[in-house]
Amino acid sequence: MENNYHVCTGCSLLCDDIEVEYGTETINKIYTACRVGVAHMKESKEKVTFLVDNKPVDEEKALSETVKILKNAKNPLIFGLGASTNEAQKQAIELGKKINATIDDSSSFCFGSVVEALVTNKIKTCTLEDVRNKGDVIIFWGSNPADSHPRHLSKHSYFPRGSEKQRGWEEERTAIAIDIRKSHTAKICGNYFIQIPQGGDVELIDALISGLSGKLPKTSYNYPPKKILELANILKGAKFGIIFVGPGLIYSLENLAPLFRLMQALNEKSNFHLVPMVGNCNMRGFNENLFTETGYVNSVKFENGIVKHGSEYSIVESLKAKTVDAALIIGSDPFSSLPRSIAKSLLEIPIISMGPSETLTTKKAKVHINTAISGVESGGSAIRMDGTLVSFKPIVETKNPLEEYILKRIMEAL
Amino acid sequence: MTNAMEIYQMLPKTNCKKCGKTSCMAFAVALMTRELTPDACLPLKEEPKYKDSYEKISSLFKPSEGATETGLIVHEDLCFGCGNCVVACPVNVANDPYGVGSGNAPKNTSKLILAIEEGIVKARNVDECRRFGKNKILCNGCIVTCPVEAIEFV
Amino acid sequence: MDFGSFLAAPEIKVKVVTYRDIFQDKAMIENLFGDEYKHISAVITLDSADLKQLNVKKGDTVILKNSFGRVVVRAEESGYEPSHRGIAYMPKSSWSNMLVSDETCGKGIPRFQDISLTVTSAKGEKVTELEF
Repeated sequence: MENNYHVCTGCSLLCDDIEVEYGTETINKIYTACRVGVAHMKESKEKVTFLVDNKPVDEEKALSETVKILKNAKNPLIFGLGASTNEAQKQAIELGKKINATIDDSSSFCFGSVVEALVTNKIKTCTLEDVRNKGDVIIFWGSNPADSHPRHLSKHSYFPRGSEKQRGWEEERTAIAIDIRKSHTAKICGNYFIQIPQGGDVELIDALISGLSGKLPKTSYNYPPKKILELANILKGAKFGIIFVGPGLIYSLENLAPLFRLMQALNEKSNFHLVPMVGNCNMRGFNENLFTETGYVNSVKFENGIVKHGSEYSIVESLKAKTVDAALIIGSDPFSSLPRSIAKSLLEIPIISMGPSETLTTKKAKVHINTAISGVESGGSAIRMDGTLVSFKPIVETKNPLEEYILKRIMEAL
Repeated sequence: MTNAMEIYQMLPKTNCKKCGKTSCMAFAVALMTRELTPDACLPLKEEPKYKDSYEKISSLFKPSEGATETGLIVHEDLCFGCGNCVVACPVNVANDPYGVGSGNAPKNTSKLILAIEEGIVKARNVDECRRFGKNKILCNGCIVTCPVEAIEFV
Repeated sequence: MDFGSFLAAPEIKVKVVTYRDIFQDKAMIENLFGDEYKHISAVITLDSADLKQLNVKKGDTVILKNSFGRVVVRAEESGYEPSHRGIAYMPKSSWSNMLVSDETCGKGIPRFQDISLTVTSAKGEKVTELEF
């Protein structure tokens, strides 16, 4: 049975213990995966599609149109890749170099800065196995794994028995949720839910730092100092603490300085690690692959062998300043995920989209190529939210082309 | 979710005794304890004016099929498939410590009470549950770990 | 004649907190353009007192408006959440993104968690379609 395990690429937990029971043609039953994972693994639809102007064409026509757009562009944008394999990401970075592209992913408006701090060893981190085996104080700050990474608590962070945590979650672990809304995760944390007002995160960080050194913690929103002191004491007593940072915390910080302050204060008194709750299955992989290649995790512009970096090369600023003149969007739907006030600039430039499903972006694309779903229809590898490399094989067969293959063909045709 | 009083409010309240109980309230209690099914109330089932109530009551008791003897109900429509209950259940942990007890896929399924299939928790071997039998205790491991109250005992 | 239509509908100002929902993610994977995804995504959860002030019943549609956009979504009443008057919850989606500012201070990060808007009854107007 164990040889039969598959990896679920539904989110960046990359659960590696999924059993799949096959029927004659398709998947019959999926065991152990969560509701989203099952939907993801059953997403596969047999439809080979190449579209130009929303009309079906053959592969050659779609490729020649793609090449035409990229050749005519002075500063094309390559964006997405959060659900692509490492192999496809590396291919896309190569393509970016060749066509002097701006290359970015959605981490530029989410976890990019945190992942950068981790890969440059500015913040202490650990693996999810460490959390399972040793974690005793677990903080979900602005994150809600119950909805976003459903098996996070059961497979790694709270409920399982680990090598040094044999007596169970009730006795040996404390899970704390800090959020502006009582999420499903906060419900599970029960009394250890700290509800703060919108934008109140930095003040709580500094109040906690005060509390850690025994000073009276103050916040402008008058969070009971006694409760903050109580929390500070729990953190002080941690033998192996982890903060799982979510978008809620990231969006309320102007920069990462408060987070650095907190981690330093915590590590003076106890032992704390930080893991970002990366969303897409291989967003962290994109950050690491680009970092290996360029020294930056996102928002990069290639220019005749030189690498430029800065927020001005992020998708959001590129679109606002209208500096990009074509877009190759891979496995992402910026028309949905970006504010409409910003995404509307995409309507002014030709778009090539690659991905397994129909989205607002594919509908607006000049060229669309339906590619295989990474981890479901194609094998490869990805990097989990904690930096662990996970390899996988396809679960079902497909006739849809791999992203890697299409990217290679574009390279050749250029 | 429901208590006997809420069920009672949806019943005909005529105390006709056709179900074998002395009153509609007694019938409501019998429904809650799984002694009877909604179909035992003939007026509710047959008279058009109770159609809505009949459907509502039937749907309330539908998810418990297969677990009626112990009263463990899984509300499948609510379940996330997160597996918190699977990993937290002390019987599951005792019977499969290196599988579900360690957060992984089951290694030994023979005595598991809870497991995830198709992204939804399924209950089986419910006679193993600590809430039943001679030495029963009020264990609530699967209830307090659920983000959405998808499991309950009636 | 419906006299009510001559009265200005009550209007409230709220700050919006966006969140992730597992059923929304599942529906998105299955069909972004399907009814299920629309039903779960095009929704705003309000405190019961705010709903009352708007004279809107749960399930009715409401108009959300600010200087960045206008959308019609379904209003829901909060469930287990502690009372949150003046704060509304929306699952993050195309609908919430229609109301996000384009101000980024040059940092490339939109203010996804800083949405202020007014809510009024949509008087039966249909939920905004998912299109661009």
